[in-house]
Amino acid sequence: MWGRFKNTVLSTENGEDNSTKLAALLIAPALAVMGFIIVYPLLEALWLSFFNYQLTKPDEYAFAMAQNYGHMLKDDVFWIALKNTVFFTFATVFIGLLLGLLMALAIDHIAERFASIRGLILIPWVVPGIVVGYLFMYMFDVEVGIINYFLLKANIISKYLPWLMKEDLSMIAVIAAHVWNQAPFYMLMITAGLKAIPDDVKEAAYMEGASRWEEFCHVTLPYLKGILVISSLLMIIRNFNNFPIIWTMTGGGPVYATTTSVIYIYREAFEQYNLGYASAVGVVWVAILLIVSVVYVRSLQKDF
Amino acid sequence: MIRRGFSLLWSTFIWVIMIFTLLWTLFPMYWMLSTSLKDNLEVFNVNPSLWPNAPTLASYVNLGEGLTPIPTFFMNSVITSVFTVVLAVSLAVLAGYALSRLRFRFRKTILMGVLVTQMFPLVVLLIPLYLVYVKAHLLNSYIGLILAFTSFTLPFGIWMLKGFIDSVPVEIEEAAMVDGCSRLQSMRLMVFPLIVPGIVATGVFAFLDAWNNLLFPLVLVNDVLMKTLPPGMILAFGGEFKHDWSGMMAASCLVSIPVIIVFIVLQRYLVDGLTKGAVKG
Repeated sequence: MWGRFKNTVLSTENGEDNSTKLAALLIAPALAVMGFIIVYPLLEALWLSFFNYQLTKPDEYAFAMAQNYGHMLKDDVFWIALKNTVFFTFATVFIGLLLGLLMALAIDHIAERFASIRGLILIPWVVPGIVVGYLFMYMFDVEVGIINYFLLKANIISKYLPWLMKEDLSMIAVIAAHVWNQAPFYMLMITAGLKAIPDDVKEAAYMEGASRWEEFCHVTLPYLKGILVISSLLMIIRNFNNFPIIWTMTGGGPVYATTTSVIYIYREAFEQYNLGYASAVGVVWVAILLIVSVVYVRSLQKDF
Repeated sequence: MIRRGFSLLWSTFIWVIMIFTLLWTLFPMYWMLSTSLKDNLEVFNVNPSLWPNAPTLASYVNLGEGLTPIPTFFMNSVITSVFTVVLAVSLAVLAGYALSRLRFRFRKTILMGVLVTQMFPLVVLLIPLYLVYVKAHLLNSYIGLILAFTSFTLPFGIWMLKGFIDSVPVEIEEAAMVDGCSRLQSMRLMVFPLIVPGIVATGVFAFLDAWNNLLFPLVLVNDVLMKTLPPGMILAFGGEFKHDWSGMMAASCLVSIPVIIVFIVLQRYLVDGLTKGAVKG
C-alpha cells in the first residue's frame, strides 16, 4: 500500500505512465502559449529570412535563396550595429557589475539597523525602461540637463556638452543610463552571495592574519564566483536584447552611433518594411545568442 | 564569532561609498519628481533650482487634458498587466508543479528549452508575430497583448515556482494521499499554501514585465485608444512635444509610481524569490 503511494508521488520509473499523462495536462497550457508566441514565430522568421519580402512591394515577394544573408556581409550598418552591441553590452555589464560589487560590499559592512537602505538602492531596477530613457535624455540634455550643470560647476568640463548629439558622447550617456538601471540587480545578487559565506571561514582568515584585501581575494571572491558568472551572463543576454532605453534616449543616433542590433532590426522591419532582410539579421542574431545561452545553461548545470 | 574591528578611517570610507551610492541612486528619481512639479518657465532656468520655487501640479493636470489620452493608456496598462499576472501565475504554477514533482520523458529538455526561450530577442519574433496577429485578428486587442506578455514572463515564473515546490517536502503530499487526497487535491491543499511567497514573487515579476514592456504594444497595437503607457508616452512626447520636460517627467512619475509601490510593498518576496536559487551555488 505505502509503496504504491510512494511511487505515485515520486513517480519513479514504474509510475511513469500515469504521471506522464498528468504532466502533459499540467504543462500543456504553458507550452501552448509559449509555442504560439515564441516557437512558431521563430521558425516562421527563419523561413521568412530566405524570402525577398517587402511590405511596400508585395508583388516582388519571392524566394530569394541566401540573398538576404549575402547582402548582410556587404551591409556596413549591420557591422556597425554588431560592433556597437558588443561594445555597449560589455561596457554596461562590466561597469554595472563593478558598481554593484562595491555597493554590496559597502552595505555588508554597515550596521544592521541601516539595512533598509538596501531597499532604496534597489528602486532604479524596477523603474520602467522608457522612464529611464526619458529621464536620462532630460538629464543629459545640452541646455537644461543637470549633468552638464554639475560637471561645469565642478570644473570637469569648460562648456556644456551636447551629449546626445555627438557620436562619441552618446554611447557614454546610453551606458550611464543602463548602469544606473542595472547596478542594483548585481548588488542584490552579490549581497545574497555574501550572506552565504560561512562566518567561520571569514573568522579563520582574520585569525590567520589575512588583511582585508587578502580576505577579499582569497575568501570572498572565490565564494562569489558562481553568482558573478551567472548574473553577468544573464545580463549580457539581457543587454544584447535591450530596446526601450536606447530607443527613447537616442533612437539609435546620432547617425548610427548607438544603433545596436535590436534597434537596427526594428528599423529595418517596422520602418523600412524589409521583413525578409530584417528576419535574416534576426536569425543571425539568434544564432549568436544561442552560443551565449549554451555557455549560460552549461554554467548553470555545473553550479546547481 | 571574532570579528575584524572597524577603525574610524575604515567606517568613514564605507560611509563615503554609501553616501555616493545613495546620491547616485536617488538623485535622478528626485530630479524627476522635482521637475514634474515645476512650471515650464522654471525648467528652462539657467540656474536650476533643486526644489521648485512654486510647486504646482499643473503638469499632472495637463496629462489628463492634452491631445493624447494618457488616462486611457493608464487603464489599458492596468488591465493588461493584471490579467497577465493572473494568467502567468496560473500557468506557471501548474507547469512548475509537474516539472518539480513528476518524472516523465523530456522533463529535462522542457526545462532547458523553457530557459533558452527567455534569451530570444523579442524583436525577431515580432516580425512573424505581427503577421500572425493580423491573420488572427489579435492586433489592437487586450487578449493579444496579454498572451504576448504572458509568454515572455512564463519561463522565469516556471523556474522560480519549480524551485519553490522543490523545497516542499514530498512526505507532506504522501501523507495527504494516504489520507485519501487525490493528486490535484494534495497540490491545492498541501503545496499551494506553502509556496505563497513564490507565487507572490512570480506575480510581481509578471506585473513588472507587462507594465514595463514597450516593444510588444509598440508593434502589436496601432489604435491609439488601445495603447498602454510605454508606447503612449512615445506618442505623447516624441517629436514636437519633446521639450515639454515638466510634462514628460510628470508622465514618467505616473508610469513609475505603481511599480515602485508594488515593489516596496512586496519587496521581501521578490528579493527572497530571486536570490533563493542563486545562493545555493
